[in-house]
Amino acid sequence: MRVEYINPFVEAAFNIIKEVVDSDINRGELYLKSTSQPVLGVAAIVGLAGDVEGRVLFDMNEATALKIASEMNGEEMAEFDDMAKATITELANMITAQAITKLHELGFTFDLTPPAIFTGTNMEVSDTGVEALIVPIEMSQGKMEINVAVRER
Amino acid sequence: MKNKQDFPNINERTPDGQKPDGTSYRVLIVDDSMFVTKQISQILTSEGFDIVGTASDGQEGYEKYKEQYPNVDFVTMDITMPRMDGVTALEKIIEFDKDAKVIMISALGKQDLVKKSLLIGAKNYIVKPLDRAKVLERILMSIR
Repeated sequence: MRVEYINPFVEAAFNIIKEVVDSDINRGELYLKSTSQPVLGVAAIVGLAGDVEGRVLFDMNEATALKIASEMNGEEMAEFDDMAKATITELANMITAQAITKLHELGFTFDLTPPAIFTGTNMEVSDTGVEALIVPIEMSQGKMEINVAVRER
Repeated sequence: MKNKQDFPNINERTPDGQKPDGTSYRVLIVDDSMFVTKQISQILTSEGFDIVGTASDGQEGYEKYKEQYPNVDFVTMDITMPRMDGVTALEKIIEFDKDAKVIMISALGKQDLVKKSLLIGAKNYIVKPLDRAKVLERILMSIR
């Protein structure tokens, strides 16, 4: 997978998280996975279709998701309810919108699906025929993994 | 002895949501994200705006506008929504009331749709992420 696809997502995640979550943020070492990978517990998924196709996952555990949602709502949230889900969806929306704008400027054209949120334990994601590139992001609220699996059509 | 009235009170600022006649501006919020709806509501109610309705898609937004008319001063309208998108809802609202004040709420990268909205008659637009200062500035610019 070409790194051009992933950089805009990482940059956008940094920008948006800094702006809306008010978090200290650091990037961990990125790694490639071609087999199935565990999903941490709360995952927002966005599909891409066009010149490039695939999907992007924003993956974190529930405690982290709850802390991020609390920060974005300006109030303590005790459970991962509909409002918390809507908040994480919006975070994924904003990051993807910024990344896509960058990718469009680079000449890639494609459409996006609205984010969907998966929650649960013991989940895995498998992508056939395409490697996933994973960028761990460390925030004061915990870890989020940006997991991108896309290929040129 | 001096009493309280002798001192100017710095807290006596008229809230932005108040019209010159002392009543509140009335707003209809159309957005499919309950998070964004809550965010806009909190910013506006803290300044004394009156939220007269919320809708979670363009169709419902258009219907609520007709229901509330003429008791609504402006609308915040998300662009990407299920059932009916914000640009179509804007078009229908303007068709119904050519003086409607609609402010578009857009994600980044929707410049074409924002331009189209402004041509149709939207008064202004706000690009997400939303912050208090940006939301109030754009709205006040459009309604005063």
